[in-house]
Amino acid sequence: MIHAQARLRVTVALSALPTEDQITFPRLQQLLEMSAGNLSTHLRKLEDANYVQLTKTYQRRTPVTYVSLTRTGRRALEDYTAALRRLLTPRSDPGDQTDQTDQPGG
Amino acid sequence: MTGGDIELRADDDQVLSAGESMALIERQTEEAQRRLGFNPALILGLWGAAYLFGFGAIFLTYPTAVPLRLPGAVAAVITGVLFPAATVISIVTGVRSGRGLRGPSRAAGAMYGWSWTLGFCALAAVNIGVTRLGLPDDAVTLLWSGSSLLLVGVLYLASGALFQDRFQHGLGVWMLLSGACSVFAGVPGNFAVVALAGGGGLFLASGYFALRPACPPA
Repeated sequence: MIHAQARLRVTVALSALPTEDQITFPRLQQLLEMSAGNLSTHLRKLEDANYVQLTKTYQRRTPVTYVSLTRTGRRALEDYTAALRRLLTPRSDPGDQTDQTDQPGG
Repeated sequence: MTGGDIELRADDDQVLSAGESMALIERQTEEAQRRLGFNPALILGLWGAAYLFGFGAIFLTYPTAVPLRLPGAVAAVITGVLFPAATVISIVTGVRSGRGLRGPSRAAGAMYGWSWTLGFCALAAVNIGVTRLGLPDDAVTLLWSGSSLLLVGVLYLASGALFQDRFQHGLGVWMLLSGACSVFAGVPGNFAVVALAGGGGLFLASGYFALRPACPPA
C-alpha cells in the first residue's frame, strides 16, 4: 500500500503530526505540493486500507475535510521503515554500491 | 506488516527501491516537521532585536559612561517601531502555524499562545494600577523592565515543559535571572541588562533554533 512513492509521502507527512492531531485537506495538499485530484485518489486508497481517517465537517458553513493517520497506518509505516532498515543495514560489507570516488590521501 | 510489504509491485505510481524509499521517508519527515512544527527562531530573533536595540537606545538617552548620547525622540522611534512590529509578527506567525490543524497538541499550542497575550495584559493592568498610587519614576521604570522579563522567563519555563524542550526551559531561567538583575542594576543600568542579557539571550536562542535540525524526537 505505501511503497508507491506518492502514498508513502502522504503517510510520512501525516506521521509527522502528533497522534490524534488532524490536518485539513488544503494544508496537506500545500505541504505535499500535490494536485487536489491526485491527493484525493491516494487518500481514498489509504482510507480503504484503513491507514488514513477522513473526517468531513463544516466550519462557518464551509465543508472541511480533516485527514489523520490511523493507528493501523502509523504501525504500517513503522513496520515498513523497520523492514527497510533491516534490508539496508546488513549489506554494509561486500556488495555495497557506494561510490568509490572518495580517495583518502589522494 | 513485515518484510512482505517491501516487495515491489506495479502500481499507479512510481515504486522505489529500499534505499530510495528510506531516503524519501527521511526527507519527507524532516520537511513535514519543519513546515508543520513551530520554529521559534524568527520570533526570538525579532524580540532579541527589539530588546537589544530598543532598550539599548533607551539606555543611551541617559548620561552614561558610553560616549554616544541619543536624543529621546530617536529612542522613542526605535522602540515605537520594533516593539509593535515584533508583537504583530509574533501573533501572525503563531496563528499561521496552527492553520489547518486541529487536535490535542494544537489546542495546547493555542492555549500557550494565549498565555502570552493574557499574561502581558494582566501585567500591564497590575503595573499601571500600582503606578497610579504614586511611585518614583525610577521605581516605575524598574517595575516594568523587571516584571516584563519575569513574565517572559516564566512563559519560557512553561514552553520548555509543554514542548519538552530543555533549551527553552534554560532560556526561561536566563530571562528570570536577567529580570532580577535588571532591578538591582538600578536606572539606567537596568536598560543595559535588559538589552544585553535579555536581548542577547534571545538572539543566541534564535540562532540555536535556526541551526537546530527540525526533527525533535516524536
